[in-house]
Amino acid sequence: MIAYLTNLAALAAIFGILAATLNVAVGYAGIFSVAHAVFFGLGAYAGAQIALVLVPDALVAMLVAGLVSGVLSLCLALPALRVRGEYFVAASLGLQMMATTLFSEWKTVTGGIGGLTGIPRPHIFGVEVGTLPLALAALGLILLATAALMRGAFGRTLRSIRDAESAAEALGKNVAAAKALAVAFACAGAGVAGALFALHMQFVNVESFNLDQSVLIMAMVIIGGTGTLLGPLVGAVILLSLPAGLAFLPFIPATEVGAVQQMVYGLAMTLLMIFRPAGLVGDLSRGKSTA
Amino acid sequence: MSAPILVCEGLSRSFGGVKAVAGVSLALPAGQVTALVGPNGAGKTTVFNLITGNLRADAGSAMLRGRSIMGLAPHKVARMGVARSFQDLRLFTHMSVRDNIRTATETSAWFWQPGGATARRAREAATEEALARTGLLELAEARAIDLAYAERKFLSMARILAARAEIWLLDEPASGLDLASRLRFGALLKEARRQGVAICLIEHNLDVVTELADRIAFLDQGQVLAEGEPEAILKDPKLAAIYFGDRGEAA
Ligand SMILES: Nc1ncnc2c1ncn2[C@@H]1O[C@H](COP(=O)(O)OP(=O)(O)OP(=O)(O)O)[C@@H](O)[C@H]1O
Ligand SMILES: [Mg+2]
Repeated sequence: MIAYLTNLAALAAIFGILAATLNVAVGYAGIFSVAHAVFFGLGAYAGAQIALVLVPDALVAMLVAGLVSGVLSLCLALPALRVRGEYFVAASLGLQMMATTLFSEWKTVTGGIGGLTGIPRPHIFGVEVGTLPLALAALGLILLATAALMRGAFGRTLRSIRDAESAAEALGKNVAAAKALAVAFACAGAGVAGALFALHMQFVNVESFNLDQSVLIMAMVIIGGTGTLLGPLVGAVILLSLPAGLAFLPFIPATEVGAVQQMVYGLAMTLLMIFRPAGLVGDLSRGKSTA
Repeated sequence: MSAPILVCEGLSRSFGGVKAVAGVSLALPAGQVTALVGPNGAGKTTVFNLITGNLRADAGSAMLRGRSIMGLAPHKVARMGVARSFQDLRLFTHMSVRDNIRTATETSAWFWQPGGATARRAREAATEEALARTGLLELAEARAIDLAYAERKFLSMARILAARAEIWLLDEPASGLDLASRLRFGALLKEARRQGVAICLIEHNLDVVTELADRIAFLDQGQVLAEGEPEAILKDPKLAAIYFGDRGEAA
């Protein structure tokens, strides 16, 4: 039971990082990406390869993973961010589909469908460490960095772009640069989460980095509350505990848990968008249509 | 009259077959209010969009203190000292009034603003000054979306004040204001003029124009039909006929 809860907590922290960083793009900058799992995956493969080939040092793995995801997101985001809002969703969807294929086919790096196995336990300076404290520390640091950035000038710039892009430009803001930075920050965070995930599971394959996963992370952000610091965390905990919670209900046959879970997600999202469009933690007046 | 800060020559732009702006020349001197007057669809907003880089000109030039600003991205034009307002305001609706203004003082897109604590204090001072001058101090923590109509217009002006630009392009900033607010707006504009800001004002209300404008450029169908002192322009019966929609008689 302890092992079960520790595992759940570590996963909650990892998905907390994913949701909190995606929120920087979605909630603050208004950039709707359904490709966050791509950068989660890039980080996971990078971290896994570092641990397998080089050293099983968690800090090195997380650093490299964050860099790989952050830099690659810049290469992809710079052209894609030129398109407006709803088109960016489509562009990121295309990216997610390409990446899923690449992850299953590029066997030398990703191990193909079978994935990478036997990833060593994480160490720091030669001492083995648990993934839970590691994930909690990373989550704490990323939340602190996010809070500092979003309360400051950069956060105001992103929110100004979200609310009125042309007015932000007219005040001298380089909108493309600010958006690219927000995306790079968010994706670097996803990369760190990926490395943690690889070290925690000691096995990764493409199943964890597909469109379903991107949609799940987006759901965490939206259900928890976009544009708030703690909302995405709440969303991550709720959506991760949901399958476990459902599994304990005696009247749902084990084979149907997956289907019931999808129904519950879908229903929760729909009801939420009707009654609390800003999410559970969000500001109530947001999202209501205004004349 | 001082040498103009901004000089546009032959600005042109068509949309499909429509010549929205057809060879507009305009000069904005420091410390003067130039009113851009003309019927709906005359091309007034399009002139602003061509100057600020929101639209690309088919032909023509715009020089800011002798340097061309044609083809520059809007944020670059803004950083060179051209501030503008929008006919539909485009406030940062879900941010507080103070944050709307504060963000106008922060032009770097990077994680940190340059200049350290000194620059930050200067930005805060500019923010508070803009709040005070637009009478928004008591509403500083309200969100833009919760403001009444007149206050929204003053917030749009406050952003421009805080941006410390030397050229203001104002797109119908006084439209729909009641008399008291219009007087407040007039005072704000006169103070900026005193401080040497070059102001271009799009305005339909001819009382406001008479009170505030030093010069008028009369625009119709993308062309400047007349330019000069307010009395001369406003007395011209031909322009009045166009302005009040009596095109048949004027022709
Ligand atoms: N982006 C655009 N695409 C197509 N047509 C445009 C565009 N912008 C302006 N126009 C057209 O150009 C002409 C001039 O429009 P503009 O908005 O500049 O007029 P205006 O003088 O500001 O009018 P108003 O007093 O109603 O604001 C109009 O016929 C308008 O439909
Ligand atoms: Mg207009």
